[in-house]
Amino acid sequence: MKKIVALLLALVMVLGLAACGGQNASAGTPAAGSSSSTSSGSTASGGEPVTLKIWFHGSNVSPEASSKVLDELNVYLQNKINAKLDVIWGTWGDFDQAVVTALAGGDNVDMYFTCNWSADEYNRYARDGYWVKLDDLLPQYGADLLQAIPEGIWECAKTNGYDGMGIYAVPALKDTATQNCWDVNGTLLAALGYNVDQVCSKGLDYYSSDFEEMLRKAKEYKASQGENDFYPLVVEPMVLERLVNYTAIVTGDLPGANVLSYYYDKDHPSKDIGSKIVNKFASPEFAKFAARTYELSQKGFISPSTQNTGTSNDYLTACQSSGSYLIGTQSYAYGCEIDFSNARGIDVRMVPATAPYMDATSGQGAMMAISAVSKNPEKALQFLNLLNTDPYVMTTLNYGLEGYTYNKNSDGTISFIQENRSNYSPWRNGMGNIRILPPTSDEGASYWTDFSNYYNSAEALPYGAFIFDNSVVETAGAAVANVYAEYAFGLCSGATDPNTVLPTFLQKLEAAGINDIVNAANKQMTEFLS
Amino acid sequence: MKSNHRLNTISAGTEAVFHVIIGLFSICCIIPFIFVIIISFSAESSIREIGYSFIPRAWSTETYAYAVQRLPQIWRSYFNSILITVVGTLLSTLMCALYSYALFRPDFKYRNFFTFFSFFTMIFGGGLVPTYVICTQVLGLNENYAALIVPLLVSPFNIIIMRTFFKSSVPLELIEAATIDGSGEYSTFFRVVLPIAKPGLATIALLNSLAYWNDWYQSLLFIKQNKVLQPLQALLMELQNNVEYLNRMSAALGSSAIQEAMRAPTQTLRMVLVVLIVVPIACAYPFFQRYIVAGLTVGSVKG
Repeated sequence: MKKIVALLLALVMVLGLAACGGQNASAGTPAAGSSSSTSSGSTASGGEPVTLKIWFHGSNVSPEASSKVLDELNVYLQNKINAKLDVIWGTWGDFDQAVVTALAGGDNVDMYFTCNWSADEYNRYARDGYWVKLDDLLPQYGADLLQAIPEGIWECAKTNGYDGMGIYAVPALKDTATQNCWDVNGTLLAALGYNVDQVCSKGLDYYSSDFEEMLRKAKEYKASQGENDFYPLVVEPMVLERLVNYTAIVTGDLPGANVLSYYYDKDHPSKDIGSKIVNKFASPEFAKFAARTYELSQKGFISPSTQNTGTSNDYLTACQSSGSYLIGTQSYAYGCEIDFSNARGIDVRMVPATAPYMDATSGQGAMMAISAVSKNPEKALQFLNLLNTDPYVMTTLNYGLEGYTYNKNSDGTISFIQENRSNYSPWRNGMGNIRILPPTSDEGASYWTDFSNYYNSAEALPYGAFIFDNSVVETAGAAVANVYAEYAFGLCSGATDPNTVLPTFLQKLEAAGINDIVNAANKQMTEFLS
Repeated sequence: MKSNHRLNTISAGTEAVFHVIIGLFSICCIIPFIFVIIISFSAESSIREIGYSFIPRAWSTETYAYAVQRLPQIWRSYFNSILITVVGTLLSTLMCALYSYALFRPDFKYRNFFTFFSFFTMIFGGGLVPTYVICTQVLGLNENYAALIVPLLVSPFNIIIMRTFFKSSVPLELIEAATIDGSGEYSTFFRVVLPIAKPGLATIALLNSLAYWNDWYQSLLFIKQNKVLQPLQALLMELQNNVEYLNRMSAALGSSAIQEAMRAPTQTLRMVLVVLIVVPIACAYPFFQRYIVAGLTVGSVKG
């Protein structure tokens, strides 16, 4: 009898806990609808300043530095929009778990960083009602913001959320295009007797004998210096495939497995070449790529460390930082060769394999969403408006205070005071419109103009800002991802012989239901485009 | 006879074999730790060139100097870890002793009920989100030391161990005798029972202190802004997680990830932190060890 009572009591406790959690977790959904419509009158300035809590990703900010910067910023914000800012400086490693828990727990946070690649997936949380839909609020509270960010990027931010198609977060105006480049070690190339400028301007052809010749010479050169474990081709295998085959990542591809390919024209990505979304591994291009990679691997140009998923990234980082590679792969960001050259102490050259292109990923790489539990969504949007249009706010949050973390130079650039900057380094790309920042002295005075020109020249892919909703193929997706995990990396890194492995792989993919996924993606794309 | 076998001994050959086996096992346990120490004293350039190695090309204490001088948070985290461990261990051991003592006393009417009550939580947990909501919103365990201590206060497993220990080592007659001599409940507990139960308490205290010292998860959940409160383990975990995350997400982040990774602490710095974390708890162990051996053997036949 007593046992039963104890059981009941315990049960009541558990249920009580669950109920509390449930209420708080689901509180988000109804609040979202009501808050956007009812409380829009409360924006008049005057009265107590509103405290807005914002959660950033990838920060490296010490508590003292944070309070120092925010104290000064808050004075400014209070005058401008009668609000104060309270920042949670999320770090890379903790962000996913902490944010997901906080979202589910209905924490009192007004704005969250979100994107389409981490665990607080923008599209999914928009669907589940965690973000405030911004379409109606934007003209009133974010007019400048609407102007500041190009139409194409807003298009990318549109998603099918709980309240219909719309914008559920403010996209950051940062590196808004994708371009795959060969990362060439110019210093080593020159040592081999090549004319670096000539080789780089001509471009590299993965299938040419010149390419192989280069690798061979590098290997022999290093061996003659006593370095026998030198491997000239140090790549991210999955990036290599996209780079060589001119395929784009289909936004919304399976979590943890890129099985879909979209082929585009390498010189004019917007040109319609009649592409459909295809099974990445079933194309003749892929077979050719895998055969070539295997061949290069057999000749000793690719390290076994690259071919092991466990060591691949560490090996890549180690080789890059010590400059012990000849050719690598890099998803390009404007100006990164300068940073890399400085960091690695070699002449790093970026040789484009394709022209830069835009797709939905361009607008969803970094976004700021307003939480559905926020009591002041209008104020939050007013703040985001300022953050993206007011250089003072953006500079202060991103770079800190003048005289504390940086000094202004006469040519309009800034130089960091390293000692304090190391205690205040948020993730620059993770905030918003970084094009209103002052250039650093390393970047040079015209950096942001060139930056904008580069990205504005990028063409959109023919399928535009299409996002594949993979929730319709969840079961097949899980099965396919398992097969993928077993074979894909080995094939793309040249570890396994495609002659024997590729047919088995394709067969297993089909059995797991890859065709359903491809068909679903194409169906959604057709609907999206019509 | 000189080779007279003592009672309960085994032959010299067997003993040698056992010594070798146990010796090898000990070496397996200690080598990774020695390796970590070696790496922490390796020069960064050596790691870059030849990777982790027992014999690095160059030695260096630079990283230790860097950690000590340039990361003021390390000392604060050290303090936090020690504070949390000491306060947490004292409180949780006291709670455990009090709870299990009540369960051990046969004259406590609801002992079965409360035994089951604590046991139940071992099988069914509340789940992460409800626990988080209760802690932050109902109990106010957010951005403070209490958030790092309170969630780990009661462990049903320890309660069961302690109750069994009481049962096997504290004769009920002793309590009766104390009562007859005019001792009140508190006086009986603190002055008669606890001194007998020292080995058990020490075991529980060691388990608790290990749990507190090694815990980083509470900090991840509850310390998001006021990061000066981070214990050492959380600091290490954060650095480690950052590096892993950037590796994992490098495809999505592109060159951003590489730029960020360059700012991440070096591999030697991570090893230095491991050494700094392990040393104090390794020093605490011998202090408890005497009691633990006693705790393990008590309850068997007494000599």
